[in-house]
Amino acid sequence: MSKPLILLHQEALRRTHPVFDAAPAETKAIYVWDDAFFKDANYSLKRLVFVYETLCELPVDIIRGGTLETVLQLAPSLLYIPAANNPLLISLIDSIKKEVPAKIVEDEPFVTLQRKTEFRRFFQYWNKAEKTAFLLDGSEDA
Amino acid sequence: MTSTLQTCFDDRDSLIAYVKKLAPWADGAASQIQGGRLKAEMRLAAINPIKYGGSRNFGDGHVTRLSPYIHHGVLSLNEVRNHALSQCSQPVQITKFIQELAWRDFWQLVLRAHPHWAWADVEPYKTGFSAQDYADALPADIAEGKTGVACLDAFINELIETGYIHNHARMYLASYVVHYRRVKWQAGARWFLQHLLDGDIASNNLSWQWVASTFSNKPYIFNLENVERYFGKLVDTSPALNQPLHATYETLQLGLFPNLGMTL
Repeated sequence: MSKPLILLHQEALRRTHPVFDAAPAETKAIYVWDDAFFKDANYSLKRLVFVYETLCELPVDIIRGGTLETVLQLAPSLLYIPAANNPLLISLIDSIKKEVPAKIVEDEPFVTLQRKTEFRRFFQYWNKAEKTAFLLDGSEDA
Repeated sequence: MTSTLQTCFDDRDSLIAYVKKLAPWADGAASQIQGGRLKAEMRLAAINPIKYGGSRNFGDGHVTRLSPYIHHGVLSLNEVRNHALSQCSQPVQITKFIQELAWRDFWQLVLRAHPHWAWADVEPYKTGFSAQDYADALPADIAEGKTGVACLDAFINELIETGYIHNHARMYLASYVVHYRRVKWQAGARWFLQHLLDGDIASNNLSWQWVASTFSNKPYIFNLENVERYFGKLVDTSPALNQPLHATYETLQLGLFPNLGMTL
């Protein structure tokens, strides 16, 4: 019987990321060492070593392969994935979501913005963010 | 069948050799800056968010060097902010520090709303030139740190060797690439992403666009006097070895943006 799985990626390399709380206790976490992704991103060895030594401190299995292919092979009942910002990662996650049931888990917020607003200049953002940026957990409820 | 990779090593050299075997195509050597939560926590414990405010623009200022850990999610922005708050008696003491964290949050929100801005000009250049006037590729002398401009070569060598340079140095290099050498910001952004341990498409690429003026109201330029002020103790700022930068802003502006005159 298939089980849930956490798929970490390089923007969420910590044990305290909310994805670990979102998944049921004891859910296994994996990180796919995806050569094609790294080549596409044109990473130098410095960056790869930094990622690898960070992974070595985490409770995660590092699996070498294509990300989508590896996930399909493992066939989880539900895949928990931290939300990403890099468009390359977002595109990869979108391709996974088409094939496997997945739940995207956002990182803890920095500030509380009352409503979704589009910003073009920093101070448009800061005028809204300043109210909670100086509060613990970026929230008046903390 | 999937098989898992090794995660226990006798020492860092063994780990580096293992990663080299995994990625023989990857350029360069490992950085002295180490990944991992333990290193991140040590660095977080050492920050001084109050002194940061007055010294952050200086090469030897109280910058935190947390960005590689923040980019990889080893530390969250929230966690860093909460720690900084515990280091001050009044939040106003750490306004600049909080704002720098906020810049990262801002860039992420912008890119999420407009993913195509990662590589497309958000706005036209405001330099008197159009995008077609800029070269597509990064010249080899820049990529190799052999521009002949001593301070810039020092910054480039540090970038290549460590994967980290001060934010002010990043702005100098971006300005040099785009405005002094008239190369598209995309070529420079790609180069930074290859090397920077904190290389984040949102912060990196949108900052390049800010310098280029495709996501700001005017191009960012600098001169040798500015480098001398902020990095004079750290890099060679002698006029003889930094000729292209040794000029007043008025002279530079006329030379770099001849179609604009003095309208900046």
